[in-house]
Amino acid sequence: MASNIPNDNVTLPANWRGLAPILVAAGCVCVLLSLGLCYFASGTGEEAVGIRVFSLSYLSSFMFCLSFCLGSLFFVMVQHLVRASWSASIRRIAELLAFTIPWWSLLFLPVLALVIFTNEPWIYPWNVGAGQGLPAIVESKLQFLNPLWFTIRILVYFGVWIFAARWYFSMSRKQDESGDSEITLKLQKWAGPLIMLFALALNFGAFDIMMSTDPAWFSTIYGVYLFAGSMLSFFAVMIILCYLLQRNGRLEKMVNTEHFHDMSKFQFGFIVFWGYIAFSQFLLYWYGNIPEETLWYKHRMEHGWQYIGLLLIACHFALPFLGTMSRYVRRRKALMASWAGFILFVHWIDLMFLILPQEGIPVSFMLIAGNLVCLIGMICLFAALFTLRVGDTSLVAVKDPWLPEALAYQVGP
Amino acid sequence: MSHPKPEKKSSEPKSFGWMAEYEDENKLLDAARKVRDSGYTRIDAFTPFPVHGIDEALGIKPTVLPWFTFCAGATGTLTALTMQWWMNAYDYPYIISGKPFASWPAFIPVTFELTVLFSAFMTLFAMLGLNGLPKLSNALFNNPRFDRATDDRFFLWVDSRDKYFNSDKVRNLLADTGAIEVDEVKEDDSSDIVPRKLVLAILTAIGATLIPGVIVLNMRNSKSSSPRWHVFFDMDYQPSKRPQSKTTLFVDGRSQRQPVQGTIARGDLDLADPYELGYDPDQLADSRSASTRLVSLNAQDGQETGSEQAGDAASEDGAMAAASEAELPWVQEFPEGVVSEEMFQLGKLKFEQNCSVCHGYSGYGDGLVSQRALNLAQGYWLQPTSLHDDRILEQPVGRIYYTIKNGKGKMGGYAASLNAEERWAVVLYVRALQRSQNASQADVPEGVDLELGAAE
Repeated sequence: MASNIPNDNVTLPANWRGLAPILVAAGCVCVLLSLGLCYFASGTGEEAVGIRVFSLSYLSSFMFCLSFCLGSLFFVMVQHLVRASWSASIRRIAELLAFTIPWWSLLFLPVLALVIFTNEPWIYPWNVGAGQGLPAIVESKLQFLNPLWFTIRILVYFGVWIFAARWYFSMSRKQDESGDSEITLKLQKWAGPLIMLFALALNFGAFDIMMSTDPAWFSTIYGVYLFAGSMLSFFAVMIILCYLLQRNGRLEKMVNTEHFHDMSKFQFGFIVFWGYIAFSQFLLYWYGNIPEETLWYKHRMEHGWQYIGLLLIACHFALPFLGTMSRYVRRRKALMASWAGFILFVHWIDLMFLILPQEGIPVSFMLIAGNLVCLIGMICLFAALFTLRVGDTSLVAVKDPWLPEALAYQVGP
Repeated sequence: MSHPKPEKKSSEPKSFGWMAEYEDENKLLDAARKVRDSGYTRIDAFTPFPVHGIDEALGIKPTVLPWFTFCAGATGTLTALTMQWWMNAYDYPYIISGKPFASWPAFIPVTFELTVLFSAFMTLFAMLGLNGLPKLSNALFNNPRFDRATDDRFFLWVDSRDKYFNSDKVRNLLADTGAIEVDEVKEDDSSDIVPRKLVLAILTAIGATLIPGVIVLNMRNSKSSSPRWHVFFDMDYQPSKRPQSKTTLFVDGRSQRQPVQGTIARGDLDLADPYELGYDPDQLADSRSASTRLVSLNAQDGQETGSEQAGDAASEDGAMAAASEAELPWVQEFPEGVVSEEMFQLGKLKFEQNCSVCHGYSGYGDGLVSQRALNLAQGYWLQPTSLHDDRILEQPVGRIYYTIKNGKGKMGGYAASLNAEERWAVVLYVRALQRSQNASQADVPEGVDLELGAAE
């Protein structure tokens, strides 16, 4: 069967790797620039909110890249779990995206340092500690939300993700040389347990890293919400990456229209799933109308955030839902790549809407600008990391036993 | 495309084209492409499993089915939103959980369901329609070899109804495609009489469906001394309490709860309004504050304080009745907006609907109820008050209003039947009646030529 595999260019374009130093420099400049911009973001009260806005922007931009990496890790595992053959030719790109997590998580260290070495409430209000005038409901949660316990949990979450990402990548690399199909069986066997660990880590990671920015509030569906956004942005990144690689003469035969069509279907599915989860969370809290549950939404329904919320309904759900519904659209690579770009754009707004609207932080031009520049900087850093991580690695798992089937993949005219 | 209908007694079964049999899907795909490229459009393939690329090989155009689904889904969305808005916000506004009548978030789950339901049904039925299903018989089944289409063989069929169909050409074409067998598809000429067993089975099934209905009918029309069989016991015996009943759940033993202290029920905000009361509560409070013998009223928010009846706004009128009614500072003049032609007509209507049965159409206390009671001559019937008594004529409008609202003697209050506006309309009409029955020559407007009747 190996003879069926077309002679395709499966390496990253050399000029992409050459961009890495420029990207790193641009990324650092953007993040610093963002600090400056956020400094001028206005608050509703007397207090200056600049440093809070920057810290939260940093967190949301960090989570932006981490979310689609986690999405790719899940994708890799679930493809093994269900023994999917169609995805064999694109799975390596997902493995590579997930493989950036070990290095990317280093960028969480500043946040961790803020928690461990200071008592500043810039990101996590609970960080001030007991007896500092926190509301009773937060005070009682300090047994869970304290620097030591928080750090331990963070290490566990990232430990699970890093282990899974490294293991799947290195095993798949090993198969590139040996072509041993036992490796695939092994990866399949452990996909189930690892997915369970991954789900727990993602769920509680979402609680700790993002939800505890508003420690009084709680939502049991929050982890699923982040998961929905992660998968959605992951498929968007995949579509864009495949499109760009093909534009540069890579993977021209390995990734065909059917693969694009399927990634687009998944993206469409997760648009709906995101809408479903986001609305479920809102509906229950809106209907119950209990103060401690609705406060989070209250922050997001005033000081200009309400327009961001409405924008999300329109642009994170309605527009891409109708826009990518048609088969015709899904089979047009350039068109889908633009929709994927749009999805990533609204995913940024979604993360901003989840993290930034805190007490005393209204929407302002400087906030949006600072956040956007921070995001651009972090994306530059991520892109540099990705190209360095890929290096000479083949972009397709060339000896995957499923690959011939994936290449013969066809569903219709 | 139409073809002559075969004669019933035709000896030769009608041909439906040619069918070719292949051993694997690749041969079938090649053959399908070849037949497609020869210009035939009415062709179809039959395979034991889905074959990738068969649509393209057969030249099947993308289906229009998604448009049916989309339109039905959009219809479902709009139907659900319109329906819920019309029900909850327009036709039967009802407060649920203190939300607005048009609560769009609450509409979304139903909207989602109806969108899915409409599109699912439309997809199914449109698919059936587009495929011409259900089709009870197909000539292909005549050939026993075709049974292997669900097993290990692949078939290609060129329909004789194709525009360019030519029997010999098609057979030769198919024979050239590597088919292991090319057969003519013949019309099923077996007897079209429905088998007796099938008829019996269908009749039995129909009969069986009638059984539940017969049982229900029988039970509805027969009497039984055994207790009723409760299918849903907790629906027949619900834990909810009836009004005015007792309960052990609350310390005071009442199943109904008092309004929460400091709250006012919907529609009771006007309790301190003379228009609503018929007297001026402010004036009353002023006069009461001087004396210490009665409950002090906080008339501003219609709530009593400093008494054991605190919080029970409804008992206020009771307290008033207990107090000397003559003392109340009655509204003396019609409130603004009451004296008008429309209010008069409304008052006439409401008076005739609610009051005339006892008081009579002219207000003499000779309504039909009264006439009937007097005819029965049971002795204890007290004739309703004539509205033309001096006592009533002298009453201020607020007093009459108060009587309509709260009742007097044997007459019950009409607060539940008439709202404040309607009560004032009735007062206006009563005043007009009094004027009409007790008019003098001076009441006749200038220029009206009045011919005095025999009664004068």
